[in-house]
Parts: sequence; structure tokens; C-alpha cells
Amino acid sequence: MRRDIVKAVLRRTPCGNLMANAVELRNITKYFPSSNVLANNDVTLSITEGEVHALVGENGAGKTTLMNIFYGLHRPDSGEILVNGQPVEIHHPDDAIKLGIGMVHQHFKLVPSFTIAENIMLGIEPNQYGMLKKKDEAEMVRQLANDFGLPVDPYARIRDLPVGMQQRVEILKALQREAKILILDEPTAVLTPQEVKELLAVVRNLAQRGRTIIFITHKLVEVKDVADRLSVMRDGKMIGTRTVAETSIPDMARMMVGRSVLLELDKKPATPGEVVFAADNITVTDASGLPAVRHISFSVREGEILGIAGVSGNGQTELVEAISGMRPVEGGTILFQGKDITRRTVGERRKQGMAHIPEDRIKIGLNLETNLDENLVVNRYKLPEFNRLGFMILSAMKRFAAFAVKQFSIAAAQPGEMIATLSGGNMQKVVLARELSGEPKFVIANQPTRGLDVGSIEFVHRSLVDVRDRQAAVLLISVELDEILSLSDRVLVMYRGTVAGEVDPTTVTKEEIGLLMGGSSLPGTATSAGSVQAVPKPQKEVVA
Amino acid sequence: MDNYHRQQRVNTFLVPLLAVISGLVVAAVLIIFTDNSPFAAFEELFKAGFGCSSLNRCAFFTTLERATPLMLTGLSAVVAFRSGMFSIGQEGQFALGALTAAWLGFALDLPPVVHAIVIMLAAMVIGGIYGWIPGVLKVKLNINEVITTIVMNEIAVLVLVYMVNFPLRADRGTTAYSPVIDETAKLMIFMPGSKWGMGFVIAIAAVLAVYFYLWRSAPGYEQRMAGQSSLFALFGGIRNDRAAIRGMFISGALAGLAGAIEVIGVHYRINQDFAPGLGFTGLSVAILGQVHPFGVFLVAILFAGVGLGAQLGLQINLGIPRELGGTVIALMILFVAAEKFYTDGISGLRERWAHFRGQKTAVELAMEERE
Ligand SMILES: Nc1ncnc2c1ncn2[C@@H]1O[C@H](COP(=O)(O)OP(=O)(O)OP(=O)(O)O)[C@@H](O)[C@H]1O
Ligand SMILES: [Mg+2]
Repeated sequence: MRRDIVKAVLRRTPCGNLMANAVELRNITKYFPSSNVLANNDVTLSITEGEVHALVGENGAGKTTLMNIFYGLHRPDSGEILVNGQPVEIHHPDDAIKLGIGMVHQHFKLVPSFTIAENIMLGIEPNQYGMLKKKDEAEMVRQLANDFGLPVDPYARIRDLPVGMQQRVEILKALQREAKILILDEPTAVLTPQEVKELLAVVRNLAQRGRTIIFITHKLVEVKDVADRLSVMRDGKMIGTRTVAETSIPDMARMMVGRSVLLELDKKPATPGEVVFAADNITVTDASGLPAVRHISFSVREGEILGIAGVSGNGQTELVEAISGMRPVEGGTILFQGKDITRRTVGERRKQGMAHIPEDRIKIGLNLETNLDENLVVNRYKLPEFNRLGFMILSAMKRFAAFAVKQFSIAAAQPGEMIATLSGGNMQKVVLARELSGEPKFVIANQPTRGLDVGSIEFVHRSLVDVRDRQAAVLLISVELDEILSLSDRVLVMYRGTVAGEVDPTTVTKEEIGLLMGGSSLPGTATSAGSVQAVPKPQKEVVA
Repeated sequence: MDNYHRQQRVNTFLVPLLAVISGLVVAAVLIIFTDNSPFAAFEELFKAGFGCSSLNRCAFFTTLERATPLMLTGLSAVVAFRSGMFSIGQEGQFALGALTAAWLGFALDLPPVVHAIVIMLAAMVIGGIYGWIPGVLKVKLNINEVITTIVMNEIAVLVLVYMVNFPLRADRGTTAYSPVIDETAKLMIFMPGSKWGMGFVIAIAAVLAVYFYLWRSAPGYEQRMAGQSSLFALFGGIRNDRAAIRGMFISGALAGLAGAIEVIGVHYRINQDFAPGLGFTGLSVAILGQVHPFGVFLVAILFAGVGLGAQLGLQINLGIPRELGGTVIALMILFVAAEKFYTDGISGLRERWAHFRGQKTAVELAMEERE
């Protein structure tokens, strides 16, 4: 009773003259019975009109859930939402859109075969007597794009666009629906550094035009760059809100993880030994049969990390698939410990000591439909430890799962746990536990920290340096320049399926490497040719 | 956490159970339209399908007899589905298995038991090869297995019709039958009055074998991983192609075995309309049985009992068309497809019930755990 009165009084009180709160989320609680997770635990968040508000926190902290609730995709178990000081009920994204809320999801929701204009105007197409007016549609989109300084070609099809452009379409789509409050969920996770720069400029520009922006990210540098204030979530709870100008990056990291985080990796100098892996003049085609990797040669020695930098889509995916045995090579040879393995299967390569951390842990690296134990043995179920006369030894699998959980501190997991209930960071730890246990001789790590929080990134980096120090050879492929430069002992830059050059990570500047990534050669270097090291001649293969 | 897993497990049973009940409720409405009391009708159906008045006149034994081929074709579908192949070729593999058994049943001259075993093994090989072909076509040429298995069902049935009408035809009567098989080829029967016998034991052995194969053996692990996520399997070093082909062979062998047992355990000869639909029903059994061997075991008995009860209890005693049995089964499958409806409903009810009893709900428990 009394509480109701208090609420009513609060409601009538003007929100103060200082600054209006565009959004207030009060005491939001959300429990997911299907995964037994309390994703939001009494979360309160206020967002001022016209600010860029960063929302950060570890994987699984509950950021996306909170925003999904605000956008009407989930119903909270309790709590209330105020927009411009008015309590509102948001049952469906339509309600949110009517309130001027727009959301760009972590995973885009565009129709690949539609044009940009068709996607932006989807469901709100201009029409006359029920007939669509395509010309007007394109014109309206062009107008909108120009208004906001986000040029696009209305007739281009989504499936032909780079990710950065798709994201721009998502933003325009929200703006066309007159979004005043724009939620961007990890918008930079999939972008190239150049695209990130452009996006941050767009965000600042939108804020200047009075839009309110909620910006979810794992990259604290971006928070520093673009946000006015930040709020930190951890384990479903709101830890606090700070002014960005008054908070240092290490402080933000500490708030997120609850302990101090080593942002700078300290590692011993490498002690490279013999060549473990060598690719000699290999050519690989992509799914549509076009050459994606062209005459690449390189080698990796034991005890070193070879980094491959490059803007995504320059053949890295195909290169990794070919090296790991998932995709056939069209030409050239692959040598592993002196043996020609060009035509060997994935299983045979793995048996000889190859490990692979794939770029997509959800689709490739893990089987979300089964449990931890079965996920952890896919590369070792044929070993006698796990296999007696063709039967799986369940107790050994269970023991290995318990070991992995402990060794790699996979939080909130126990043997038999379903993988799908784990957060992104913990999923990646499962992949690491599987790939890095059992003394691999050669580890391929493709975008190993994509979408991970600072604490998890630190863990992944530490693990990779550790296997290097155990004298394994590591091939690191990443679009994150900082990651490549801080981890690698040598760096190759890939551009359009070829090696554009090799640089020394200790001396190279970001500008220099950026030039190579963009396809220009370094001033002073004569060639940008592929082969960097002499590759030993293949021995005639002896099949064991 | 434990509480949650327990609830999950309960759901696996509760969902099919609720589907069965919903199917019966709708059937009750249909029965009312025939001017019968649904309660009386269900009583008749139950007595005729699952009752047992004496050991010599036990309807339940006939139900078990009829459940045998459904169990095997259901297992056949389970193995194919679990390796990621949507094979609906059980009908054709069943027909070829039956044809093999009908022929070898009189053509071979072997001592008892040995004769039956040889027949079953031969039928499994034939059925297996007939499943292997669409598997290879899928893996090597990427031809959709749904289409190839449908086409191959047609072919198999036509082969059976031809063989019964010409090479294997035993007499000049109006309907063509193959010769009755030798005594040595027949499977043992437990009780006079029905053909319930050794075939049922073999089916149970197959249920256990499929369970151990899929969940305990390395090849079974490969198959399930390939079925759940072929990219993951490829990445991990599993040969997807081999797993799929192996799954299709085993699936075909089980359906072929079903055909053989139906011949050497029940009918002893075949005509051109031999046991149509048993293969397709196997698909339904697998789906209602949650694509699990133990589920298949229970659902096969349920389906056989409902079918028999509808035929004897409803049609003969009450004059309700026996197609009602088929309708009930179809309804049950329909309701299983609406699984999400139940799982959501069940957890909602649980919350409300806990609230009503003043107990803590899952939400509250979880919140306390966090504190
Ligand atoms: N639809 C759902 N059903 C069940 N559990 C869910 C669902 N959505 C999220 N969860 C769980 O809720 C928790 C919070 O997830 P959420 O996606 O909000 O995290 P996040 O902070 O966005 O993490 P990330 O940075 O990895 O995107 C996680 O443990 C997740 O597994
Ligand atoms: Mg998220």
C-alpha cells in the first residue's frame, strides 16, 4: 500500500532540471529456467538523454539480456522500466519501437537476399493501393542516409556487403523507425579496425544530434574513445556507473572482473627450435571455387608464435581450414614434422599432434547439443585412455572433464554439463582445454579471443604463451592488431590470399602494418613477395 | 542445478505422456460423435489391446507380437536420424528383408535354428545394402536422402510384387502367395493363440544393442556427433561420410531384420500386399519415442496395443471404425510435435503449484543460491 503511494509521488515529481533521464531500468530481475541462470539480479540503470552510455561486463554478465528486456524480447520477472520519466510496459519490440527504442543485435537480423532499401523499409514500405513503390523506397533510404551522413547504395544486396556496411544498414533501419534511443550490442566485435573507427565517429555524431546511445562492448579502448559514462555488470548484478573521463582503463577492467587484470602481456623471448610446420606454395579455393589463398609459403618453428595479421576475408579462413585438413588444397604441399600431410585427414593430423582453436566456437569448435564430457574428447576418443575395444570409457571421460574444469577454471561447469548453458568465455575455455591438453606440437589459433571479455582474453593469451614456452609451435591468426603484435614472435601480413610481407612485431609501427594490410607495400622494401623462409624439401612420405 | 536436471529428465517422459493423453482426449470427442460413451470405448480398446483373460487368450501377447516389427523399424529410424540422415527408407528395406526371408525360407535346406539365423543375417545384409546405397549417394554425390529413400521404397515394393507374382508364386489362386517356408526356418512361439515368440526377444536384444552402440561405443559417438553438428565432427577429426554411411547400413539392416522376423515369425509366406506401412509407422514410433531406443520400445507396444484394441475392441464389439486407432496414433504424433507447448506449460504449472503450496519456486531458489 504505502509503496504504491511513494511510487505515485515519485512519478509526479519532476525529474529534476539538471538532466532528464531518457531511460530508467529499475530493479530488473530475470531468471532463465531453461539454463538455470539468474541473468539479471536486481539491476538498476539510468541513462541520460543524449549521452553515449557504455555497458560493459564479462561474458555472461547479463548485458544482452538486460537490453533484450528493454527492447521487449524478454519479459522480466520483476522490475520496472521508465522512458522519459514515464513508466512503460514493453511486451514486444513493436512497443519498444513505438517508444523510440532501436536495437542492433549482436548477430544481425537482415535478409541477405534483399536490397539495402528493402531491408530498411521492411514492414513499413511506402505503398499505393497495396502496391509497393520501389522508387520511393530507395529515395527515402537515400534521403535518410544523407541526413545522417551514412551513405549507402539502396539497391545493393545485403549478401554482397562487408560486415561494416551491414551494420550501417542495421543502424539506418533503426533510425528510419525514428529511434531516439539506440542500443548497439557489441557492434565492433566483427569489424575491421578501419570500420571500427568509422562506426565510433557515427556514434558520436548521432549523440550530437540528440540521440541516446547504449553501447555494449568488450573493448575498453572504445569505451574511452566514445562513451560519456559507463556501467559495469558482473554475474547478473550492476556493479556501478562511472564517468568515463574519470575512470582509467585498468580501473574499468578491475570493475568488470573483480580483480586486477594484466593488460600488458609479459612473456619471455622465444627460443625457436626446429621447423615443425611448413606450407610450401599452397593454393586453396573458397566455397564458390574461387582462389582464396594463392601460392603461400611459410613455416613455423617449435617454441615460437607466428602471427598472421590482415583484414578479415583475405583468405585466413580458407588457409586455416586447409592447414587443419578441413578443406582440400588445390596446389602445393603441407609438411608437418618433416612429413608430407597434404592429403591427410583431420583425424590423422590431429593424431600426429596438431591442435586447432577455430574462429567460430559455436558452429565449429563445440557441439552445443551435447555435454562437456563428449565435447572434450572429440580429438582423443580413440586413445586407449578413453576407448576399450571400441567402447567409450565414460568414467575416464568424466575424470577428464573434471580435470579440464579445474585446470582451465571453467566457471559454473561440472562433468555432464550441457555446453549450451555456458557463457562465451567459458565456452572458449572448453575449446582451449581440449586443444591445449595433451602436449600438442602445433597449435592453430584462429581469432582465439573474438567476443571475449578482458579477463578471458588474458587467460587465452597466457595459455598460448604457455604452450609456446613448452616448445610447441603456434600459428596465431587474428584481425586484432594489438593481439598479433603483443603475442607474436614473427608476423606475416595477409592480403588478398597472398603474404604481403613480414614484419618484426617489436619494431613495426601500426601505420606500417596498416599499409601492408591495405595492400600497399612498405616504403623501402623491394618486393612484397610471399616466401619468407626456405622451406625444406618434402621427404618421401612413409605411411606408418 | 540438480533440481533443474531432474526437471529436464522428467520432461522427457512427461512430454510424450501428455501427447498420448491429449491424443486420447481428442479421440474421446470423436467417439462421442459415433454415439458411444468414450469411457466404454476406451475400456473396450484397452481390454482388446492390453488385456489378458487367460494365458491362451491373451490380447497383450498379440500386441507384443505386433510391436516386434515396429520396434525394429523404429530402431532403424533412430539409428539413421542420430547420424544426421533423414532416412525414410524403412518401408523398402523391410520389404526386401521380407522377400529375402520368404525365398530363403523354402530354398535353403538347413537344420532348425541355423536356418532361421542364416535367414535373418541374409535379410540384414540385404536391408543394410539397401540403406547403404542412399547413404553413399548422399555422401559422394550429395543427393538428398529423403528423395532417394522414397524412390527406393517404391522400387523395393515393386520388386516384391514382381517376385511374388512370378518367380516365387506358389499356386494359381486369385491372390499370389509365395510358398510356405520350411519348419526349420520358423521362429519359436511362446504361447499358442498368438505369434508372440523369439522375434520379440530379438527385438529387445536390438533395443539394448542400439542403445549400447549409440551411447557407449566409439563408432556410435562418431555417429551422434556427426548427426548433431557435422562441422564440429569434421573439425574434431571424425569422418562424417563414413559415419553417415555406417548409420544408413545399420538402419537398413534393422529394417531388413524386421521384415525377416515378420515372415519367419508370423506369416510364414508373403503376398504382394505384404505388411504395408510397418516401415512408415516405424518413423512415427521413433519420433514419439524421442529418437531413443527405450522410447521406441514403449511406443511400439503402445501403438501395437492401440491398433489391436481399435480393431478388435472398437470395430468388432462397438462398430466404431478401426481407423480410429490410426487417428489416435496420428493425434499423438501431432501433439508431440507441439513439444514446446508442453515444456513451457509444465514449468509454468510447476511455478504456480509451488506458489500455491507456499514452496519456493525455481526462481527463488536460484536467487538464494546466488546470495
Ligand atoms: N534465452 C536464454 N535462455 C537461457 N539462458 C540464457 C538465455 N539468454 C541468456 N542466457 C544466459 O544468461 C546469462 C547472461 O547472458 P547474456 O547473453 O545476457 O550475457 P552477456 O553479458 O550479453 O554476455 P556476452 O558478452 O558473452 O554477450 C548467460 O549465462 C546465458 O547463458
Ligand atoms: Mg551479449
